[in-house]
Amino acid sequence: MKKKYWQSFGELNYTESFQESTKNEFKEELPLADLDDKGILEATTPRRDFLKYLGFSTAAAAIAASCEVPVHKAIPYLNKPDNEIPGVANYYASTYVNGGDTIPVVVKQRDGRPIKIEGNELSTITNGGTNAQAQASVLDLYDNTRLRYPMQKDGKSFKEVTSFDAFDKMVGADITGKSIALLTGTINSPTTLQLINEFISKHPGSRHVQYDAVSYSGMLQANEACYGKRAIPSYHFDNAKVIVSLSADFLGTWLSPVEFAYQYSKGRKVTGEKVELNRHIQFESMISLTGSNADDRYTHKPSQIGAVALALAAKLGVAVTAPSIADARLAKGIDDTVAALNANKGAALVVCGSNDVNVQIIVNAINEAIGANGKTINWGMTSNYKNGIDADMVKLIDDMNSGTINAVLVYGVNPAYSYSDSKKFKDAFAKVTSVSFNAAMDETTELCKYILPAHHWLESWGDAEPKTGYYSLIQPTINPLFKTRAFQTSLIKWSAAAGSMVNDYETYFKTYWNAKLGSVDVYEKALQDGVIEPASMPVAGGTYNGAKTAEAAAALASVKGAETEIYFYEKVSIGNGSQANNPWLQELPDPLTKVTWDNYAMISPAMAKALVGIDVMTMEGGQQSNYEVHPEKPVIKVTAANGKSVELPVIVLPGMNKNTIALAVGYGRESANKEDTATNIGKSANGAGKNVYPLIGFSGTNVNFSVATAEKTGATYPLAQTQIHGFTEGRAILHETNLKSYNANPEALLEEVAKERESITAGGSKDFINDATIYPNFEKPGIKWGMSIDLNTCTGCSACVIACTAENNVSVVGKQQVQRFHDMQWLRIDRYFTGDMENPDVVFQPMLCQHCDNAPCENVCPVAATNHSSEGLNQMVYNRCIGTRYCANNCPFKVRRFNWLDFTGADSFPDNQKPILGGYMDESVMQMNDDLTRMVLNPDVTVRSRGVMEKCSFCVQRLQDSKLEAKKQQNPKLVRNVKTACMQACPTHAISFGNVNDKESDVYKIRNVDQKHRSFYVLEHLHVLPNVNYLAKVRNTDRHIGGEEAEA
Amino acid sequence: MSLLKYESQQREPLIDGNKDYHQVTEDIIRPIEMKPSTLWYIGFFISVSLLLFGVYSVYREVTYGIGQWNLNKTIGWGWDITNFVWWVGIGHAGTLISAILLLFRQGWRTGVNRAAEAMTIFAVMCAGQFPIWHMGRVWMAFFVLPYPNTRGPLWVNFNSPLLWDVFAVGTYFTVSLLFWYSGLIPDLATVRDRAKTKFRKFFYGVTAFGWTGSTKHWQRHESLSLVLAGLATPLVLSVHTIVSFDFATSVVPGWHTTIFPPYFVAGAIFSGFAMVQTLMIVVRKVLNLQDYITMGHIDAMNKVIVLTGSIVGCAYLTELFIAWYGQNPYEWYAFKENRANLFTPYGWSYWLMMFCNVVSPQLFWSRKLRRNITVTFFMSIIVNIGMWFERFVIIVSSVYRDFLPSAWSTYYSPSIWEVGFYLGTFGLFFTCFFIFAKYFPVIAVAEIKAVLKTSGENYKAKMTEMEKADSEKFYIEEVAHAH
Repeated sequence: MKKKYWQSFGELNYTESFQESTKNEFKEELPLADLDDKGILEATTPRRDFLKYLGFSTAAAAIAASCEVPVHKAIPYLNKPDNEIPGVANYYASTYVNGGDTIPVVVKQRDGRPIKIEGNELSTITNGGTNAQAQASVLDLYDNTRLRYPMQKDGKSFKEVTSFDAFDKMVGADITGKSIALLTGTINSPTTLQLINEFISKHPGSRHVQYDAVSYSGMLQANEACYGKRAIPSYHFDNAKVIVSLSADFLGTWLSPVEFAYQYSKGRKVTGEKVELNRHIQFESMISLTGSNADDRYTHKPSQIGAVALALAAKLGVAVTAPSIADARLAKGIDDTVAALNANKGAALVVCGSNDVNVQIIVNAINEAIGANGKTINWGMTSNYKNGIDADMVKLIDDMNSGTINAVLVYGVNPAYSYSDSKKFKDAFAKVTSVSFNAAMDETTELCKYILPAHHWLESWGDAEPKTGYYSLIQPTINPLFKTRAFQTSLIKWSAAAGSMVNDYETYFKTYWNAKLGSVDVYEKALQDGVIEPASMPVAGGTYNGAKTAEAAAALASVKGAETEIYFYEKVSIGNGSQANNPWLQELPDPLTKVTWDNYAMISPAMAKALVGIDVMTMEGGQQSNYEVHPEKPVIKVTAANGKSVELPVIVLPGMNKNTIALAVGYGRESANKEDTATNIGKSANGAGKNVYPLIGFSGTNVNFSVATAEKTGATYPLAQTQIHGFTEGRAILHETNLKSYNANPEALLEEVAKERESITAGGSKDFINDATIYPNFEKPGIKWGMSIDLNTCTGCSACVIACTAENNVSVVGKQQVQRFHDMQWLRIDRYFTGDMENPDVVFQPMLCQHCDNAPCENVCPVAATNHSSEGLNQMVYNRCIGTRYCANNCPFKVRRFNWLDFTGADSFPDNQKPILGGYMDESVMQMNDDLTRMVLNPDVTVRSRGVMEKCSFCVQRLQDSKLEAKKQQNPKLVRNVKTACMQACPTHAISFGNVNDKESDVYKIRNVDQKHRSFYVLEHLHVLPNVNYLAKVRNTDRHIGGEEAEA
Repeated sequence: MSLLKYESQQREPLIDGNKDYHQVTEDIIRPIEMKPSTLWYIGFFISVSLLLFGVYSVYREVTYGIGQWNLNKTIGWGWDITNFVWWVGIGHAGTLISAILLLFRQGWRTGVNRAAEAMTIFAVMCAGQFPIWHMGRVWMAFFVLPYPNTRGPLWVNFNSPLLWDVFAVGTYFTVSLLFWYSGLIPDLATVRDRAKTKFRKFFYGVTAFGWTGSTKHWQRHESLSLVLAGLATPLVLSVHTIVSFDFATSVVPGWHTTIFPPYFVAGAIFSGFAMVQTLMIVVRKVLNLQDYITMGHIDAMNKVIVLTGSIVGCAYLTELFIAWYGQNPYEWYAFKENRANLFTPYGWSYWLMMFCNVVSPQLFWSRKLRRNITVTFFMSIIVNIGMWFERFVIIVSSVYRDFLPSAWSTYYSPSIWEVGFYLGTFGLFFTCFFIFAKYFPVIAVAEIKAVLKTSGENYKAKMTEMEKADSEKFYIEEVAHAH
């Protein structure tokens, strides 16, 4: 028998229960039944499902673990305001006011935040136009350096004053019994002026001093001498057939450029059978925005302006003797100008930008001689843009020094920075009790004992009277962001009798206007409209008294110039420097030099050759190229007659007078303690340029030039330019002609272009669109958006650039990135010089995405992130874009902008805005990225993240809006009302936009009917079929236009 | 006697020295079995360091943005795409040598084809880095792959030359890799058979795919090689043609040129052979393989260089002529001013390119210089500098001043991270090459042996002996015996 081995008793006995237990030893059934088991797929966890579950749970866990989604809380209104619909914008009429500059505007407000400024079309002064500074002022509202509460000086710093009452009590006690000076900018607000008068009457010995950083004192005093009124008349550029400007930059910065640009453009529109244009002649020292629009332009040394004025006056029959003019071209220019003025008596205007009272007296005499008074110069309606008299400021400083004035309330001005002898001012200022009402910390406020920050104008009530009888109201569009109080409220509180009912400005304002307008309804209508205007503008002459002419002429004849002279000017961006901490304005390229973030010494090519050894006139040895392509520019030291000097890099610009160095004011803002500049004055203002106010010559009156010496320092300094080459190289980019040729044969203007088109098409066919390609053409029914830009009325003022930036959340990239050619502006204004280097013609050409129907960018994108809409838009799909930049390479217009770095903070990579090495991201970019400043973003437009391409979208959000509106109202014609941001901002209405398939639309009419002889496309021969057309420039001159280039 | 191939007495042997089969195996496989030299370690260390610097440069660019490079709103491509085209170009020689010369039955290719193919693969790997990492949002790079997706489905744009690149380079890389690897299998088996260490036995055992050397294996191997050679041949022409389409199909003056496809292919072969020269001259010296990579090889490759260099020079002159003759003012400006004018910012790069690519290779008309190692090495570097500048000139000097003078760019020079990325690809290339040289037979042993049958001193001696011998005796001893 076989031997049996056993392991347990159970096994030995082999009972039934043991058998059962061994059988079920592994009780759990394996999920894998036999293959013939039909239940395999019905089992609880079959093999395939198991893998599915495994895969899913791994993926889910991975996603849950890795994609941390930031939590953004949206808190709904507990009580929704009646007029607030989330996602729908409200518009409020208001007024942009900055030291006398007044522009009636409409403020776009989204979800309680003002985000965009538009011009108020109801104003007959500006007609809906704006300028760059007004457009950008919305950003000042959200400036992080604004003062947040009342403060008092505590040693070297300031400490918060806990309440307004405490502040009132403290300051009230400090100023009681003192002689107070109210030092403000030009104030044209009737209520404020009334309050100031009340305040002064309550404080005997007090007075109101108006101070303008860039003064028009000479003009005011000359008018007082000639017309008995210390005022500035209204100008009617639209009534003038001949406009002569002596250094007045009336399209850029002089008095009221928005108003003047509109009037001027009326005379520059090419319309009718026989085209008539105004004739604009400019005499100037630098090449200004206005000068570059002139039909003829002559340069002279700044000190020669009197001689030029005298020469004009003498030849026009004014009894003065003119010094001889050595420069033959200038002398001939004067003769031509005199002829033109004589031929258009009563329809001519001479304006002058000089602050020399004597020059202005001569100019008044000229205007009398040509019959401008009462025609193009209106004394029936004076304008209130500038009131400051230089001598008042001198007297104030003397009085502060002598103790006659022992308290100063500063509101809206910054003389510690902008006064030419700022040291003298500061020394005197230290002797008095000082209170600042400025909204942000500045050089003057830093010196004050007390600070009570005023509201930004977007938070304020207020009014303005830019012209006598023309009112524009200010209403708040947001609750004050900080603990600020209106300046006027302080005046009320500090001058009101005890127990007065009115103790705040809002009540005062409402009472004033209700009383003045008669009823609440009228008041509310006025508030809604924003402007109160007389039915028509009265035009009247002033009573002229030429008694001072001879005296002035004698004074001018003795003016001694020097070999080299400085001319001081304002830029259209930074102006007098009050908005220096506005990154949009800092990054706005100067229309002529295309430099951002800096001021510099503008010199002529001839001076560059002599002074720094750069000959930009020659391609020989690559001199021109070398100067252009490297941002590092040689630095020169400019010393003014008063001994002050400044070191600035040079920009060599054709058209500059060869003896003139032009310096822009408004830069070089700096705290008393230099290190505090970024925190006190702001990150954008910090380090931007140098302050040249101290160089301004002062001889009892501010004169905007100075005798100077200049020397090369050997150092270099980088300037961030957005455009470095200024010549068309004979390319078919723009077309221009003179008026005579145009009237003789309008078709000749673009004949060459038509010929070229035919040379490209198969068999010389006239159907360029279909026959210049081997590919089939697509039908484009329905809406097809198109834009038309009139080069004749575009002045280059750059308001559109800021408007575009604000509307489309365009990033600010900072100086170093602009220098690296990384600027992001969707719309740029190309500037081309033609003709010779000394006296070039200038053309401004706004350049934006041309929305080509046969777009070269579209077919090269590997992922179809840029494609064509059925409405003719070249659209950019940001979240599809992978950033190969092929589209940008292939864009003939180079309008595509790539997000090189995380400019917006919208990137998902954390902490990548401050690269350790080689990052070059400026602090000013961070300024745009803080939570407060981000409130300015337009919620309708995506903020682009790093690594994607972007470009002009034709404001597609506005187009969609207009289409929705048209659909809602069942009226397709409503889409005709749509305006792109650039178009809306333009003071001269140079841009038209609409559906080109609509025969009633402006664009259709311009292209096919009204302006068909002037309408051209840039780089048309490429057959990219742009949707933006330009209208050729026609200049009112007998010169051949465009030099050799036009002939080529 | 093998009558399939008659070797002229005039022709120098393809393999020097009296080698027998064993000697060949010893010479080529021995370095794999030895510890690497100090020189190898130093080289490897430098390569890895460069690679790491490249990785860091790319890390910075990905984290902070393309703004870490000095490209700008006008110059969208600079060093990135220049390097891409340059590396792809270098990759061409390998395939040309292995595929086209195989089809043309060029016996001399066997000495250099393995290393050249490896070079191709590594160069294409390097090239591929640039189009990938030059993307602004590289994490979305998969958008360029056409696959059914949940985004619509949203497809790629088949019109875009960049997409064609994806396919062209992808295919090229795949085929080159397969070709290279299939050629390696018999040699890996040889290494495996000699292997003494565990690792080697395992590693070469796996990689040799169970090669036994049976006739069936050889037969299939030969057919596969031919098929792959057939596939690879058109790729040699197509890849650079398609790369050139990136430029040729655009509107940019200086890019928009129909001459580009042939000109790019010639340039690619030119630079590829130069790179092979650079590497081979080093390898033969370091690994002591002068007998296999002979003066004849160097001479032959220099002939290719002078040929393709002259084609390229001819192309340069042609495009210059056509730019003038074509009367397109934009194109003429691009050539006359942006390039040929020495006083414009990039004029120097055009003339540097002209000198390196057109003038200097003419030295190789002289047999003496063709067979001079120092001159060849020096020239191979010059040619690759020249070819790098060719791409740079095409890309940058065209686009930095194109249609609108208002958009003309400031002077572009690379940032440290752009240079770092480029150096990083050198690191990648040489790291791979050092690993290859250490762990793989750098010369195709099996193919050398095949050549050895018909070339070399032994063969000649044998032939002489045979010719002297009595034919009767030969028949009895060799032929009858064999049957």
